[in-house]
Amino acid sequence: MQDFALLRHITIGQYLPGDSLVHRMDPRAKITVVLLLSLALTVNTSYLANILLLGICLALIRAAGISLRYVLNGVRPALPFIIALSLMQLAFYGNPSVTSTLPVVTFLRWGPIFITSSGLQLVLVSLARFVDLMILASILTNTTPLAYLAYGLEDMLRPFGRLGVPAHEISLIFILALRFVPLLAEQLETLAKAQASRGADIGAGGRWRFWRTARAMLVLIVPLFLDAFRRAEELIVAMEARCYAGGRGRTRLVQLQMQPADVIIIFITALLSAGFIWFRRSFPF
Amino acid sequence: MNGTDKLVRRVVTAGVLAAIAILLGATRLGFIPVPTPAGNATIMHVPAILGGIMEGPAVGGIIGLVFGIFSFFQATIPMFKDPFVAILPRIFIGITAWLTYIALRRLNEFLALAVSAAVGTLTNTVLVLGAAVWRGYMTPGVAFTVGITHGLPEIAVAVIIVVAVVSTWKGLARRRHARL
Repeated sequence: MQDFALLRHITIGQYLPGDSLVHRMDPRAKITVVLLLSLALTVNTSYLANILLLGICLALIRAAGISLRYVLNGVRPALPFIIALSLMQLAFYGNPSVTSTLPVVTFLRWGPIFITSSGLQLVLVSLARFVDLMILASILTNTTPLAYLAYGLEDMLRPFGRLGVPAHEISLIFILALRFVPLLAEQLETLAKAQASRGADIGAGGRWRFWRTARAMLVLIVPLFLDAFRRAEELIVAMEARCYAGGRGRTRLVQLQMQPADVIIIFITALLSAGFIWFRRSFPF
Repeated sequence: MNGTDKLVRRVVTAGVLAAIAILLGATRLGFIPVPTPAGNATIMHVPAILGGIMEGPAVGGIIGLVFGIFSFFQATIPMFKDPFVAILPRIFIGITAWLTYIALRRLNEFLALAVSAAVGTLTNTVLVLGAAVWRGYMTPGVAFTVGITHGLPEIAVAVIIVVAVVSTWKGLARRRHARL
């Protein structure tokens, strides 16, 4: 932890203002589209299906006007790890549970190393899926203000209210969590500075001195939790003082409106995803 | 304490603890480097354990869900871009921790806290690695090694944090009450 100020500038799914079709879509429509496509992605293991799905995701990100470079930027620090993990998967995972329609070809078998075409397929498909999901996550968080996402989530969960799902409360928890992150980050920065000014060497234990690192972390994390609880108590008093009584009968400033375009997009995505899921074993390669 | 009071308390506690889970992930403070190939032991699941212990299974489950969703969105490793690995197992952390806590609370408060922290951590380790094996990202052997090398330090740290935080908080609350 060399740079204390870094703690304050956390961007979780930074909203990028814009006026693209994707930006203007109803948050509920966006959540539905992302869920449908994620489902299709998760069950498809063939090359062709993944190439097609990658194409759809690339088209979506283009329509949203976000550069692919921006989306994949966050991956860069983890790149060596991803490569190492992929190589390990490739080398030792010759006989995976991937149901391939292609005949399995063994490329190399030498001691514990066992490289087959289905192992290769697993690695390539995992990587494609990874890029797809980065894009889908970015479509949700980069093109929609977080409050709107929470409203969308609340509206989508509302029909389950009869089954006892507290839609309003869940969405309020999400909003509270997002509002508290910068506050607690500031507190964490204060704590880190207070410890450092008294000679604490935070995060300096290194890989081989686990206990030292862990102990150094404890002096930050325990006070952080206690501070969070104190803030929670204050908020509880504030909400009760204002007679907050849950979501029942409560109205909202922003009322979401589905446009015809949203319905059409959901319909097309649903058809596509259903096709991908239904024919997942029928792709030739 | 009537129903509305409890609702407000649960919603706020869940929100604040979920914020800590997000913060620990975003600042990388939740990762403690260990000398294994996979690199880091995590304490990001601790808020879910605390939520479960302090406010019950619903709060623990929701904090786990928020933690899972953020680890899914922030993941830079293909394995955690799979909702079955990143999100689903995390919901159970707070629930098993709560079950352990209420089962052992009568015996000894500190024992209950320590054991439920360990059980919550194990839930995270076992279910996430189990899901990774099931979805074909790891061989059972690799998962077992990762489980041992990461699970044990994670349990140790989680136990220390949970016992320290809950006992201090309850002590503080008692003292504050007395002063009033």
